[in-house]
Amino acid sequence: MKDLKELKKIEQFADQCMKCGFCSFFCPVYQEEKMEQSVARGKNYLVKQILAGNQEFTPEMADIIGKCLLCKRCAANCPAKTQIDRVVVAARAQMVKEKGLGAIKNFAFRKVMADRKAFGRYAKLMQAFQWMMPKTEGKIRHLPDFVKNLGRRNFPELAKTFLRDQVKPLYKPQDGQQPKMRVGFFTGCATDFVYPDFGLKFIDFLTRHGVEVVVPDTQNCCGAAIYFSGDFETGRMLADLNVKAFKDLNVDYIVTTCATCSSTLKDYQKYLPDNEEQKQRYEEFEKKIKDSMEFIIDILKIKPEDFKLKKEFEGKTVTWHDPCHLVRYQNIKDQPRAILKALKGIKYVEMPNADLCCGMGGSFSVYHYDLTKKIAGKKMDGIKATGADIVVTACPGCMINLIDNVLLNKMPQKVHHLLELVE
Amino acid sequence: MLKESLISEFQKIVGKENVLTSPEALKAYSYDGTTSWIKEPDVVIFPKSTSEVSQIMKLANAEKIPVTPRGGGTNVSGGSVPWHGGIVLAMTKFNQIVKIDKENLTATVEPGVVLQDLTLRLMKDGLFFPPDPQSFLGATMGGIISENAGGPACVKYGVTKQYILGIEVVLPTGEVVHLGGRTLKNVVGYDLLHIFISAEGTLGVITQAELKLNPIPPAKKTLCVVYDDVAIAGESVYHVLENGVIPDKIELIDNWVINRIEEMMPIGLPKDADACLLFEVDGIPEAVEKEAEKIAEITKKFGAKEVRVAKDADDANKYWMARRAGFAAVFGKAKTVFAEDVTVPRGNIPKLINRCKELAKKYNLEIVVLGHAGDGNLHPAILTDISNKDHYDRAVKAMDEIIEGAVEFGGVLSGEHGVGLEKQKFMKKVTEPAVINMMKNIKAIIDPNNIMNPGKIWE
Repeated sequence: MKDLKELKKIEQFADQCMKCGFCSFFCPVYQEEKMEQSVARGKNYLVKQILAGNQEFTPEMADIIGKCLLCKRCAANCPAKTQIDRVVVAARAQMVKEKGLGAIKNFAFRKVMADRKAFGRYAKLMQAFQWMMPKTEGKIRHLPDFVKNLGRRNFPELAKTFLRDQVKPLYKPQDGQQPKMRVGFFTGCATDFVYPDFGLKFIDFLTRHGVEVVVPDTQNCCGAAIYFSGDFETGRMLADLNVKAFKDLNVDYIVTTCATCSSTLKDYQKYLPDNEEQKQRYEEFEKKIKDSMEFIIDILKIKPEDFKLKKEFEGKTVTWHDPCHLVRYQNIKDQPRAILKALKGIKYVEMPNADLCCGMGGSFSVYHYDLTKKIAGKKMDGIKATGADIVVTACPGCMINLIDNVLLNKMPQKVHHLLELVE
Repeated sequence: MLKESLISEFQKIVGKENVLTSPEALKAYSYDGTTSWIKEPDVVIFPKSTSEVSQIMKLANAEKIPVTPRGGGTNVSGGSVPWHGGIVLAMTKFNQIVKIDKENLTATVEPGVVLQDLTLRLMKDGLFFPPDPQSFLGATMGGIISENAGGPACVKYGVTKQYILGIEVVLPTGEVVHLGGRTLKNVVGYDLLHIFISAEGTLGVITQAELKLNPIPPAKKTLCVVYDDVAIAGESVYHVLENGVIPDKIELIDNWVINRIEEMMPIGLPKDADACLLFEVDGIPEAVEKEAEKIAEITKKFGAKEVRVAKDADDANKYWMARRAGFAAVFGKAKTVFAEDVTVPRGNIPKLINRCKELAKKYNLEIVVLGHAGDGNLHPAILTDISNKDHYDRAVKAMDEIIEGAVEFGGVLSGEHGVGLEKQKFMKKVTEPAVINMMKNIKAIIDPNNIMNPGKIWE
């Protein structure tokens, strides 16, 4: 009998599925492909077949397990409350254990992303050569025509100066205020390399509100792309490094401006533990993690009406896109809406299917770009229906994909992080 | 295994990407919404037009290959499981809403359209398709018609067959026929349309349907009526109806279900109640108000302990979410669940409920009662465990006796799920041999090679 350790851990969840098939309505991938292997019920059944010894990790099985955005729409709407995300992630982990990661992921995850310094060096290198990528508009570039088979992907350029190179280890509250609390700031890769401005802005915002902020340089990538791809070994290593980075800093909370990072840090305890001690450590860590959206409303208790709109956004119509990692992974949906609705000078319009995944799904969009574009197409329909000038969200991952698809569809909308809208 | 050459013929008809033969795909098309009926097909084919279905059927008929049409695979009878292997005809990509005719209150749809997608589309025109099988999130129109599905709204609006004006069918020979039409009245010859509705895919493949629609009623109101005795709740159903109020839904949940729902999602249901009836009335606002008052008055007069009227749409929605969670609650609490689908004339609901209670005692089992009290379609659920032989055997006996009871009280063994594989052994018991023979003869005329969904309905 094969050792199916990672799958055994989630067998109880897989058993919960009663095969009603209601997930088909909610699954963005099924809605495009209309095939049973695309939907949670099919994937869950096949994973159970692996557990029963009737199915191997064939290339097709790898493809089936890989073709999931982990958007959790199925899980959130499952009458039997099957945690299909855990089943899929565990299946990927089991597969990596058995078959290895493959050369590209092995290099990207273990040699680059898992090593903060190396990741920085590679990002610098890419930044130095990004002039080779043609400009679409402003700070957005796209892949050149000679790599057409990868699609004409648009992406924001890497920042001139990364956040890590301009951030200080400690920020005191402004105007001589007594610190009301001390928080650790988790930068996250996208904020570090692409959007350092709103990282700095959030720190400024916190210190203005009497919060002392520490930014340890021993922190690493949150590991989302890595452990969601099934590389639990590297995932655990990063989890341990991040837990350690904030451990002795005596912080009340650890905050981040990236929805994926905040949910990933919270969920170490759910996906990764290999033993009881690890589980407890990750659970302790989880208690301190706050996404910027919940931190400013629920913890700092800033009233939505106290936010001030930046001048350049006056008179605009805005709509909100729910990142999966906020709305379903953390149940954060009311806080950003409360701010947007209260902001004087803009008009807020709710978009149809605001909680629909943008189609990014981390490395999903690398391997299934055509599907990503189709799924994003439905998101674009929702955005068009609002007539908004600006799509607001709070996840750099979503932002990158939304920008790409807004441009591909020749739409006029701009995409912004909520923190960019306020003073 | 089918011949390679045949597979490539199918690929020529529908395109390579619409013919699946990998072991993984075949496994994924081996089941439906039931627990234990599992059988892999030899090939899964996704047609997108009537002509493609016709070409596939001609080939299958010539080679005598079994064909099982499958929509969303949400059915709970084993009906879409390819019991004799062969072809699963997956209709999910054949899914356009062809036309919505507001003037005539009709819609023309392809078989793969999911009911909820249709509902959302019709809403834009203020229309709806009244039959409401609770699998509406995944169930397709082809399957809904083939199973003659129904749901809570049956009490006022009836079931699928009352809303199908006509269908296009590909016969097993590949011939395309049109049954019924586009009119409300139609008495031209034998009513063959209604033989195909509820045939469970054993006669042909439905490739298009003409649906009858209703305008969405402008107002709705929900009441939750609390009882000390589930049998008295059962009596309330016909007291309300005989007093001239026809709610669009009357649903029953018993004490066990109430408590499980309160554990899962506390919404303040009365945990000590023996049962609750959920009523919904719909229509023009003034009528809805009056009808709600009338229900409160009648149910109180006939022994209800308390009447709660939903304050607003959100409040009402809470009750209906609880009702929908009922089945999940049942399935989450036992390894194996027999979810029965017996239906009795409404007046006999109390008798059936009492029979379930007696059997629970007699066999020392947990038997939960929930269901569509308004139309006599109850879903007594027996909680058991297939790996515990003694317990399981007792559960099987109880199930047999519930069905016998239903028939004794003038009812039928299946109200809305169909026979499929799950209820074959009872079919024989409760149906006259001459009737079964007639059905078999009809099947033989239409499908002489017995390729359409073989192995279903009869053993």
